Amino acid sequence: MVLMALTQRACPPKLQRRRVRGLTQRVRTLPLAATGVVCFFCVSPVWPSVAGGFTATIRGRVELRQPPRDLDPRPSAADLGMHASHGATDRRRSVVYLDPAPRAAFDSRDEPRARMDQRNETFVPHVLAVVAGTTVDFPNNDRTYHNVFSLSRTRTFDLGRYAAGRSKSVRFDKPGIVRVFCEIHSHMSAYILVFSHRYFAVTDDEGRYRIANVPAGTYTVVAWNGAMPTESKQITVSDTGEATLDFVLERR
Amino acid sequence: MFLLPVRAVAQWLPSGPVRLLDGRLRLGGEISATAGTPADVTFFNYTDYERNALRTFRAAVTGLWQPVERLAFLAEMRIDDAESVTAAAAYVRFRPWRGRPFDVQAGRIPPVFGAFGRRAYQADRPLIGYPLAYQYLTSLRSDALPAGADDLLRMRGRGWRSSFPVGSPYAGPGLPLISAFKWDTGVQARWLTPRLEAAFAVTNGTISNPRLGDDNGGKQLAGRLAVTPVTGLLLGASASRGNWIARAVPVASTAHAQTAFGGDAEYSRGYGMIRAEMVWSRWDLPFLSPPPEGRQATALAAWIEGRYRVSPRVYIAGRADRLGFSSITGASAAPPLPWDAPVRRYEVGAGYSVQRNLILRGSLQVNQRNGSRLDRRAFLTAQAAWWF
Repeated sequence: MVLMALTQRACPPKLQRRRVRGLTQRVRTLPLAATGVVCFFCVSPVWPSVAGGFTATIRGRVELRQPPRDLDPRPSAADLGMHASHGATDRRRSVVYLDPAPRAAFDSRDEPRARMDQRNETFVPHVLAVVAGTTVDFPNNDRTYHNVFSLSRTRTFDLGRYAAGRSKSVRFDKPGIVRVFCEIHSHMSAYILVFSHRYFAVTDDEGRYRIANVPAGTYTVVAWNGAMPTESKQITVSDTGEATLDFVLERR
Repeated sequence: MFLLPVRAVAQWLPSGPVRLLDGRLRLGGEISATAGTPADVTFFNYTDYERNALRTFRAAVTGLWQPVERLAFLAEMRIDDAESVTAAAAYVRFRPWRGRPFDVQAGRIPPVFGAFGRRAYQADRPLIGYPLAYQYLTSLRSDALPAGADDLLRMRGRGWRSSFPVGSPYAGPGLPLISAFKWDTGVQARWLTPRLEAAFAVTNGTISNPRLGDDNGGKQLAGRLAVTPVTGLLLGASASRGNWIARAVPVASTAHAQTAFGGDAEYSRGYGMIRAEMVWSRWDLPFLSPPPEGRQATALAAWIEGRYRVSPRVYIAGRADRLGFSSITGASAAPPLPWDAPVRRYEVGAGYSVQRNLILRGSLQVNQRNGSRLDRRAFLTAQAAWWF
């Protein structure tokens, strides 16, 4: 179900807008394997009912029962000494989003930018959530080369090796999950979640999130963390109210 | 609900090391299967273990146990061709001073000489074949020696199974300039800064013949200095000297040294990378009747390789490689000849990343040996390598 939220309207913003205005709300559902197909074949369930203005807010907290672990460097017997220390990855951040999203979610016209830094052999932030059509900058603010790449089907790219002070960028048009790595440093990894709507939030240091301007209706809210199984819950929000929904994620 | 299928598409095999004891114990591994020409009668790619480097199956597990911050124990267990398990590496790593990038390692340790020897994992190497300096077997043996120049010239191009009148009466494989398949035993120290790396080692064997135990009472001294003048460029220089003749050989003294010097360079930028390395080695030979050139045999190997990533999943690579030998004069007064048959090797290949840690490779390698009956051979090879 959550997959649908990412894959529905998996098309460039221009096509999305045209489609949202004119097309029926009923579309078919396809498994993830089919997401490479052009956006007209992408899927969505029946949209939730929208009863009022965009004033409701969903907020809450995502609690991680076991703290997620850093990706360790691969143990190499060929090294001549201790591995240089690197920055800690903040794996506590989770992403909370609606699935499916309200219809109005697709009316955006801007072409946003986001940033995923490379510092002390770490991607910062470790989790980035963006809307489809976002261009993400990958500046190298480290002292060494990095080679950012992804082999994810949602977006396959390789930025090559570039030195400190330089930046390269990638545009993400297709909803889905993109796992990002560095070819040189095996312990560097990050996630980019690309949504076809704006109803998502990344949790703060304490796991809190807030999704604003949600139309009244009944939704499935999903909490995602790269190191934990996903959890989803149903919630009904009124047109002017505020709903609270907490999650507890733990390894099974 | 969506996480698992999406994750499965992105990465359907484990991608990171196994973590135990709250991260103090980490296990990594590599499995590679290489399929090439079944019977290589030219023996161009034979290795120390009398195996064909282009037709192997290898499974290796590397463990790192770090009970405290400045102390670690490392070991790599390896199975080649589903035969016996060997400890390719087993050593302790210690950082004497907190905050100073100075490390000491003792045990079966990685080589400090050169650069290729520490690229022990398939993920670090763009091509399937090995550089000649690190794999090709010369006719010299540590347990059997030629009495004169004619004995040496008779074995030209037969390094995979040479025999000499002094020492072991049995035919056996010769020595490469540097072994890429065995590591030496001893103690090493390294100082590392962002721009400079200096390493020094005292070991039982030599770069040609790394050993678990000492077989001649002499130690090898080896060192390497590497600088990084700009990001992406690495320049290294190495030197080593150690006794190479085994105690079992009946010669007046085993104090005959292998002396080697090396230079290496690597430059990478964008989607391309170039590596080059040169190794010069001299073996002191206790000839009973020395040729006019003296009691020494030298060899020089040099190679350059490049890799270019044409897409996120696909790269192409190539290497040009040469191994030459000094000339000596036989008793027959014929013109001087290289003491072993010079070899050239060219290899081109491509790799496809199925996922981040699963690579499929293919390569075409052409070898040419001057001064031997079996003088030219091409090999088509495929490989699958997975690591975590």
